[in-house]
Amino acid sequence: MAKILVLGAGISGHTAAAFLKKKLGKHHQVTVVSPSEYYQWIPSNIWVGIGKMTIDQVRFKLKPVYDRWKIEFKQAKATAIFPEGNSESSRPFVTIEYTDQARRGETENVDYDYLVNATGPKLNFEATKGLGPGKFTHSVCSCDHAVATWEALKVCFDRMGKGEKLKFLIGTGHPGATCQGAAFEYALNVAYQIKAYGLQDYAEITWISNEYELGDFGMGGAFIKRGGYVTPTKVFSESIFAEYGIKWIKRAGVTLIEEGVAHYETLDGEMKTEAFDFAMLIPAFAGVGLKAFNKAGEDISAQLFAPSGFMKVDADYSAKAFEDWSVEDWPSTYQNPSYSNIFAPGIAFAPPHQISKPMKSPNGTLITPAPPRTGMPSGVIGKIVALNIVELIQSGKPAIKHKASMGKMGAACVVSAGYGMIKGNAATMTVFPIVPDWQKYPQWGRDLDYTVGEAGLAGHWIKIFLHYMFLHKAKGYPFWWLLPE
Amino acid sequence: MAKNIVRGYYDESYPPLPTKSTTFWRRNLLWQAWRFVVLNLKIMRIIVGGHS
Repeated sequence: MAKILVLGAGISGHTAAAFLKKKLGKHHQVTVVSPSEYYQWIPSNIWVGIGKMTIDQVRFKLKPVYDRWKIEFKQAKATAIFPEGNSESSRPFVTIEYTDQARRGETENVDYDYLVNATGPKLNFEATKGLGPGKFTHSVCSCDHAVATWEALKVCFDRMGKGEKLKFLIGTGHPGATCQGAAFEYALNVAYQIKAYGLQDYAEITWISNEYELGDFGMGGAFIKRGGYVTPTKVFSESIFAEYGIKWIKRAGVTLIEEGVAHYETLDGEMKTEAFDFAMLIPAFAGVGLKAFNKAGEDISAQLFAPSGFMKVDADYSAKAFEDWSVEDWPSTYQNPSYSNIFAPGIAFAPPHQISKPMKSPNGTLITPAPPRTGMPSGVIGKIVALNIVELIQSGKPAIKHKASMGKMGAACVVSAGYGMIKGNAATMTVFPIVPDWQKYPQWGRDLDYTVGEAGLAGHWIKIFLHYMFLHKAKGYPFWWLLPE
Repeated sequence: MAKNIVRGYYDESYPPLPTKSTTFWRRNLLWQAWRFVVLNLKIMRIIVGGHS
């Protein structure tokens, strides 16, 4: 019997665990370790943050699902990996610390034959002083954050209803932050709701971003066919912001937040400030801080993890000039090069480099989005990692058959821009591939037939459809495995 | 006499804005139902074709 340990129950880890158990059956043991008792469908947090969905519409408890699937669940956080075991045991294991009420603080060593590190990102609010919930800005990065953000937004609506003019600042809260898409759709939804309440004369909404141009989204932007032209997503994004009455500040790295004031540095090296009454700013991401030790107990974290804390996989991490970057640098199996029984799908793997061109201010501050880590690639990668582990176990051969590179797969980002089955709106954006392939598509970097940007009600329907479809799949309801990642 | 509101000289003055026709088709149920199908097919294609 093989033991497979999955760290994390987000989109990637949960998908991997589901397929591992389905394919391996009762003869092998699948264990999931996650610090939260809930699965959450993160793309819908935006709607929690504007009061259109409740927290329980975007999350569910994991244990009943795992009990039904016969997957062992431990509500705990992983703290250290011992891929060679230790002086007492030659079996590899992970040290975990329980987070549930009953066993909080207790530790345990959980051994494994295969390890799936799908721990996702640490929301690194600490990287920007004053940033984040409990300090001076809000977040929609988790459903708990989104609930608190909606409470704060309601207060703003009340104040504007009494005639007060307020300033909203939405965007990225660190010079190297990613996930511009989430902030982008939150800005549009806030603007939509403000207009729906007739309060637009009392609100000034400003987008602040580390992007070189709007529409970069951490993937160097994209080109799309639109109105008889091939245009950059810069035009598409600016057009939507102009339509929704949102101003923007670009090429800005937020470095400090004080009460009601964001301090930022521009690519030109200027230090500026922007006042706000309400701010929702996305933090930088980092690895969750796992440590690794060899059999002798020596710290080998630098061998397993990149300096960012994300795990090294089958990528080309050698330093190269931007012009030499290739889609071949990107990983396709997510297997750790040092320990072949460890995989890191989803957000937990270390990208070989950025996708957007690195830009530094004259002061040396890197003001460039990190690569985006959306749900669709995370689910696909989680699935292929599971299928590869299944084949490794069943065939006993070391060949890795299933591959999924961000340089060869596409992604869809449906940016909600207003809620409602008749009056809703969303910008549907797809890119293929995610990482531009300038060798295969020398003119535009991507396939223009599958790289689109389109606003309309259909986008809202797609986002609603995806919400219910993926929750159906994640809950393991009938025929869940037929639904594509 | 009211002052002129000049459209220009700000970043937000220059992007293309949708015409009435564009906003009509964005909300037209039949057209959007068709776009729903087309966009879903494109999304399906890039998901299924992106991994082996």
